[in-house]
Amino acid sequence: MTNAAFPQLRIVPVRMLKPETAERLLNMLADVAGIRRMMIHGPGLPKVVPYGPARGSPNPHSDRKAIRVADAEIALRVQVGMVILEVEDASVIEEVRSLCDGFFVEFPYLLQEGRFMKTAPTLVDYAKYGPDADTSLIGLTDPRNGESPVVIRTKQ
Amino acid sequence: MAYKPQYGPGTSVVAENRRKQMNPNQKLEKVRSVTDEDIVLILGHRAPGSAYPTAHPPLAEQQEPDCPMRKLVKPTEGAKAGDRVRYIQFADSMFNAPSQPYQRTYTEMYRFRGIDPGTLSGRQIVECRERDLEKYSKELIETEMFDPALVGIRGATVHGHSLRLAEDGMMFDMLQRNVLGDDGIVKYVKNQIGEPLDRAVAVGKPMDQKWLKAHATIYHSLVGTAYRDDTEYIEYVQRIHSLRTKYGFMPKEE
Repeated sequence: MTNAAFPQLRIVPVRMLKPETAERLLNMLADVAGIRRMMIHGPGLPKVVPYGPARGSPNPHSDRKAIRVADAEIALRVQVGMVILEVEDASVIEEVRSLCDGFFVEFPYLLQEGRFMKTAPTLVDYAKYGPDADTSLIGLTDPRNGESPVVIRTKQ
Repeated sequence: MAYKPQYGPGTSVVAENRRKQMNPNQKLEKVRSVTDEDIVLILGHRAPGSAYPTAHPPLAEQQEPDCPMRKLVKPTEGAKAGDRVRYIQFADSMFNAPSQPYQRTYTEMYRFRGIDPGTLSGRQIVECRERDLEKYSKELIETEMFDPALVGIRGATVHGHSLRLAEDGMMFDMLQRNVLGDDGIVKYVKNQIGEPLDRAVAVGKPMDQKWLKAHATIYHSLVGTAYRDDTEYIEYVQRIHSLRTKYGFMPKEE
C-alpha cells in the first residue's frame, strides 16, 4: 500500500516491450539500490480466449512467457506497457532516469513522477487478504487473481 | 444540375485520402495479393473449397412475389444463390492505419452493394452474403486500405487500436492472430476469431512510415498530420457543430 513518504515514478516507453527487452530493463532496475516495490503494467495476455465464438480454447502467445529478474522468475501475463516503481528517496529517481536514458535508444520513453499505486485497500483486497494484510503487498497484484507478488533479492 | 458528391471537406493529405477511398470512381491502389483460399481461411466461416451453405433456396427456384422493388433492385450474387450472411471485422490502429472505422463504413457504402456495416470507435464490422463478403474482403485486404501491421482482421477480442504499438511495430493483439516473421512478412496464424489455422497465411510486409503517413485517413498530431493544420476541415466541423447546437434550441422566426 502506498506510503506518502516514498516517491513513486513510472517508466513509460512509447512502444510496448517484448519480454526480452523487459527482462533487460528489469534486471537493470534490480541492480539499483533503493527500489522498494515495482509493478509491471500492461494489457493482459490470457491463457485461454476469454470471449467470442472461440471462447475457452487455448491462446498461444509468444509474449506470454517467464522472464528471469535477478534471482527470481516472473511469469509474464501482460505485455509490458510500463513499469511503476516506489523508491526510497528522490536521489533514486535520478539514478533510474540516467539508466533509462542509456537504455531506451531505439525509441523514446517518459519518466513520470506521481502517485501510481493504491493508497488504501479496496473492498476486494479486504475480502481477499483480511483486515491484517501486509500493507506492502496490497496494490501490487490483482486481488482477483491467485498470483502473489514476486520477491526479488539482490546482492546489496 | 446533376448532384456531384464532394465526399468531404479539407485540404490536407488526410482529407484527400478520405475522399479517394470514398469515391467509387477512383481505383484503389493494389498493394499486395492474397489468394481466395487465404481469405477464406482468415475469415473462418467455411472450409476452403467447400460449397457455400445456404440460408434459403436460390432466388431462381423461388416463387418471387410480384413486387416493383424486386424488379428495380438486382440481387447480388450471394443473394441470388441464397448464401448465409457472414462478416469480416477490422481493428485499425490510431497510429496512421490507412483506414479507420467510420472511413471504412463510408467507403463501403459508396463502393459495395448489399452490405450492413457496423461502426464502433476502434473496430468496424461489415456483414453481407458469404460470396459477396469474400469478394469485398479481398478488395479490402489487397488494396491500400490495409496494412499488415496496423490493421487487424479480428472477429472478437479486438482490443488494441488505441494502444501503443509493440517494439516491432505491430498493433497489440491479445490473441496474436498475426505475427511478424523474421523475413519481415506478417502471417496470420489464427483465423479472425482466434482459432489456430492449419497453415500460416502471409499478408505481406508492413508498409513503411513514409507510405503510412502519405496514406493516412486519421489526423494525429504526433505521428501524422495534425487536425488543426487542416483549417478547412475545422471550419466545416465547427459550422456543423454550431448549426446543430442552435437547432437544439428550436429557433423560430417571429
